[in-house]
Amino acid sequence: MRIIQAVLACTFIILLSGCTNLKEVRDFAGQSAKLTGYTELTTRFRDTYYREQPYLSEEVHTFAQQNDARRKAAYQDLLKVHQTITLYLQTLAALAGDNSFDISSGVDALSVGISAHPDLGLEKHEVDAVSGLAKVISRWATSSYQQRALRQFIKEGNEPLQTTLSGMEKLIDYYQQTHDNEWQTIKGLLELELSFNEQPEHRLLATLARAHAQAKAAEYEAAAKKYREARKGIQTISQGHQLLADNLGKLSRKNVKDSLRQLSKDVKSINKHIESL
Amino acid sequence: MALATQAQIEAIAIELHKCADVVHERLMKSVKRREVNHQEAQLIFQDEIILRQKANGLYIDAANCVVAGFAESQKRLLQTISTAKQKLKTIKELAAFIDLTADLIVLAAAINAAKPSAILAALNEVRKDCESIKDIA
Repeated sequence: MRIIQAVLACTFIILLSGCTNLKEVRDFAGQSAKLTGYTELTTRFRDTYYREQPYLSEEVHTFAQQNDARRKAAYQDLLKVHQTITLYLQTLAALAGDNSFDISSGVDALSVGISAHPDLGLEKHEVDAVSGLAKVISRWATSSYQQRALRQFIKEGNEPLQTTLSGMEKLIDYYQQTHDNEWQTIKGLLELELSFNEQPEHRLLATLARAHAQAKAAEYEAAAKKYREARKGIQTISQGHQLLADNLGKLSRKNVKDSLRQLSKDVKSINKHIESL
Repeated sequence: MALATQAQIEAIAIELHKCADVVHERLMKSVKRREVNHQEAQLIFQDEIILRQKANGLYIDAANCVVAGFAESQKRLLQTISTAKQKLKTIKELAAFIDLTADLIVLAAAINAAKPSAILAALNEVRKDCESIKDIA
């Protein structure tokens, strides 16, 4: 009996020290997946024509409609970029998950099953000791399996992920430029027409136009902030994943964990910021 | 080659975009100085907007180039994801297998004790385990 107790004591120490804590990786991947899963800017890009249409003259409509059709055609492919990156980050979070590689519930079932049948001749504390040992061994085995799976995942994923992230940054850039043209179209029209409608008899029209311009300015400024935040977010994710790839064997070191924690915090605050706009 | 094309398209789009900005600035100056009438101003403004639409069209081209350039990276990412999913599945299978072992022990105990109701219940559990292992695979 003493031997079992001694073994148990040792194994708990192993359990405590050998247990891989991948919380930082998981948090980082989770927050990042939330950011890349955010498709509002892509949808906004697709819907450009809907918003600009009331401000366009008859002659411009043909050009605008062509662009509209092409943006709509590209939309699904653009969404796929979001989906692939998000799926990757979610898988990373799952690989770093506490329970993803945990089979102790199975071991529990084993000991309950045995305990339910005293006719097997095993006493309860003996069953508990055996199942405790089984848990530690299985956790130890699966934890190293998890570490290896995670490292291989990051190593294989880093290069294509970085390429895709930098491409995504480019896309956000194009969305923002398109957004700027849209805003200049609306602002320019109001500005121009107002300069020809300053006479007292057009006062009501001019007032309404100015109020409309004010509301629109606020709307477009809020959207412009979203593009800036999203770009910052993508850069932070890229930095974080590069940190993981550069420190594959040292993921439990304090400085790596600290940097990762900071990057997660940054991504989280960007997520919050985008949601609040 | 694709990247060069994308960069070129982007550069032209930005130039057109800037031209439109300059046209607008000039137009508004002329309007303030009363150098153009309303109709002339509207025509110039229309040209400015056409320039903006052309620039937007090029931004779509550039975006399509980016997406086309993704194909290879995306394929590799999906491959990496599917390898990882396979590993997560292996672990699930392992857990299901342990369940099966537990229930087999109960079954053995029930047979040993010769209790028909317990044997039937245990057999039922074993059957469920086998099905869940089949589901995973």
